Formats: sequence, C-alpha cells, structure tokens
Amino acid sequence: MKRFLSSFSSLFMLSAMLFLGACSSLPVDERSDARDPFEETNRQIFAFNMAADSYVLEPVADGYRTVAPNSVQKAVANHIEWAGLPSTAVNSTLQGKFENAALAVLHFAINGLTLGLADLTEDDETPLREDFGQTLAAANVPEGAYIEVPLLGGHTARSLTGRVVDIFLNPLSVLEAGQAGESLRQAQLPVGAVSFRAQNFDAVNEVKYNSLDPYARARSVYYQQRRGLLEDRVAGQISEDALDANDDAFDSFFGE
Amino acid sequence: MMRFTSLLSVFLLSLCLLAFPAKANDRLEEATALVAEMAQGVKQAVEADYENDEAKVKVIDMLIESYFDFDGITRFSAGRYWRAASEAEKAEYAMLFRTVLTGLAVRQFDQLKGLNYTITDTSAKGEKLALVTGIMSDPTGANADAVVSWRVGTLKGKPVRIIDVEIENISMLVTQQQENTAIIRKNGGQFSSLIDAMRKAANEL
Repeated sequence: MKRFLSSFSSLFMLSAMLFLGACSSLPVDERSDARDPFEETNRQIFAFNMAADSYVLEPVADGYRTVAPNSVQKAVANHIEWAGLPSTAVNSTLQGKFENAALAVLHFAINGLTLGLADLTEDDETPLREDFGQTLAAANVPEGAYIEVPLLGGHTARSLTGRVVDIFLNPLSVLEAGQAGESLRQAQLPVGAVSFRAQNFDAVNEVKYNSLDPYARARSVYYQQRRGLLEDRVAGQISEDALDANDDAFDSFFGE
Repeated sequence: MMRFTSLLSVFLLSLCLLAFPAKANDRLEEATALVAEMAQGVKQAVEADYENDEAKVKVIDMLIESYFDFDGITRFSAGRYWRAASEAEKAEYAMLFRTVLTGLAVRQFDQLKGLNYTITDTSAKGEKLALVTGIMSDPTGANADAVVSWRVGTLKGKPVRIIDVEIENISMLVTQQQENTAIIRKNGGQFSSLIDAMRKAANEL
C-alpha cells in the first residue's frame, strides 16, 4: 500500500499520457499551434487546472506568502531545489556536463545537513538545473506533442517522460528515510506547487486574468521557458552572437 | 605609381574595416543609452504622484513615443495575419492594442515602485538588433532578482527603438504574437476575431 502511494504521482502522469495518446488529434490547419494536436482535450484539462488553481492553489499560495515570513518561504524553496539536485547531478553527467554534476553533488552533500532548508555553501556559483527531459533532448529525442496534464500543467511528451524518470531520482525515494521521510517526500509535490505559485503569484495571475486566451499564452510561455533551458545544453557549441529562434523571427521582421 | 595605388587600396580597406565595427559599436552604445534613459524615465514616472489614471496614461504614452517602436510592435504582434488584414482592420487593431497595453501598464504601475534596474551587458543580434540585458532588483529583498533584457532595433538610417522585453528568457512580444495568432487560427483565419477579443479586453479594463 505504501509503495503504491509512493508511486501514485508517476502512475498519475503515465495514465495522463496514455489517456491523451488515446485522444484523436486535430488536423494541422485546425490547431492554433502546430505542436498541439490534442488541443481540444488540452483546453478542457487547462480549464480544470484553472478551476483547481482558483479554488485551492491561488488562495493557499496567497495565504502562504502573506503569513509565512520571507525566511520560511526561502527555506521551503531551498528544500525543493535541493531535492532536485540528485536529478541534476545524474542528468548533467549523462549530458557530459561534469562540472555542473560535481557542483550539484557538492551542494547536495553540504546542504543535506539541513535537508536543503538552508544554503550552507556560501557559493555564488549554483548548479544549473538539468532534468531528464533535457537529457532526452541532448540525445535528439523528438519533443513530441504538447500535453496538458491535470494539476501539473503543460508539458511536451518528452519533458513529461523526463519528469516521470526524475521522480525516481528524488533523494527521499532512494534513501530508507522511514515514515517521516516518506511523509516528507509525499508532501514535496503539493508544497512545491504552493511555493512555486507563491513565488510567481503576479506572473501566473497575469496569464490567468489578463490574457485574451490564457491557454495559448500559458503554452507560449511554457515553450519559451523550456527553450531557454534547452539552449543551455548547446551553449558551448554555438558562438556567443548566434541568433536564437526569437532573434530569427525579429531579424526577418524588423529588418524589412 | 602601381605601388602607390596598391598602398592606397590597402589604406582604404583598413579604414573600411576599422570604420565598420566602430559604426556597429556606436549603435550598441546608442541602444544601451536608450535603455538606460528609458529605465530612468520609468523610475521617475512610477515614483511620481498622480491625481488619476488619466495622468498615468499620458505619462505612459509619452514613454512609448520616446523609447518604443510601437508601429513595429503592433505589426509583429499580429503575426503573418497582419498583411491579410484590411486598412480599417489594421487601424482598429492598432488603436485597441495600444489601449489594452496602456491599460495593463497603468494597472501594474505601482508594482514597479522601488525597483532598480542595472544594465549588465549589450550584445549585437545580427546587424539589425541589439539585446540590452540587466538585472531588476528589489532593495527590500521581497522579490528575487530577475534578468530583464530589452531587444532594440538598430537598423541603419532609423532611430534606435525598443521592440521587445524579455523577462527570464520569455519574450513578451513573442508571447503576445503566439496568443494573437492562436485566436485567429481558432477562428478560421479571421483577423476580425482578434479585433473582437481585443475590444472585449479593452472594455474590461
């Protein structure tokens, strides 16, 4: 039972992927974005996610950022970041970024003394986040369709697969941390969601309340944010003044 | 005589090679100066006292006229559908787009109070664009530092003007364009659907 509960989140995401795989895809000319073949289903799930946000996440995050002192918010954000360091170390190694991997191991070991709540490293250089989705991208695995996952938001099929793998790299999944550790691990997802929502409170509300089409805006933000993470993987291979996708679009448009 | 011509050619070529980077650097310096001036102007504007929102709108309009290529921003925001739109549709969209953006800026005016912006880097993006990057910081520590970059048009023969702002790698103009394009595509490619959506947003301000 305990094992079943601990695997709940990964099964949940897997079932979401299978569910969407079974959905019929829209013809390209009926999509608002060519990368989004399941747009109709995705929009319904997005509406559900927005309702969940309005009824649960937004009020909880609002209360959290009002009541919890900055130091507590910072400690919680630190812990969530710390829990992602083993994944960063493994994925950095798989991508050949050994310096980043070493940095992640160092930060994980030192800050592990406080379960990541405090940053004891006093190091200006922090490891860059690397997930399994980025590792798959580095191996030239196609990004696949855009998929809106209940309660987790938008992902590409590739990054969603990566997210499932990354769950198993959570330090508390690997260590025999007892009942307390298990409870802490299970609390990480909802606490992380509240912490993220509180940190990005105005930005998320901007998309939610001030957009002409919140779904399209959220999808655009996701793709740009993801592209920023992926560009890091090729940073060493491109010249500093190389144009990225946005630059190309601007260059051809404003150069007319 | 032949030798003199060769020497002259080498001399002129050297001059050209030296002059081109100098011109390019001039444009980068202009872009940096424009963003620094704009940041200072915005800081003064948000710190000032206003009797009502109309006064804020006037100041925002002045900032837009002075530092932004708003015509270019408007055209880019409509994506490839801009060319297919009629002149009347273009004019109505431009007016509504500006109203909505100004309205949102008025609403968020106070959020910028007390923030500092420090330019850290300017780089050329091809021959027509520059990216001026800096850090937006909150001296109170309530908000984490954010990397904010300004994309500036540096096309030869035209005044340098801002065309986009990127916050933590997310371009506001690309986001707006993709949102607008999604609305038009979901409505069978009708530009009027975007105008309807923009009008609704303007009415809700």
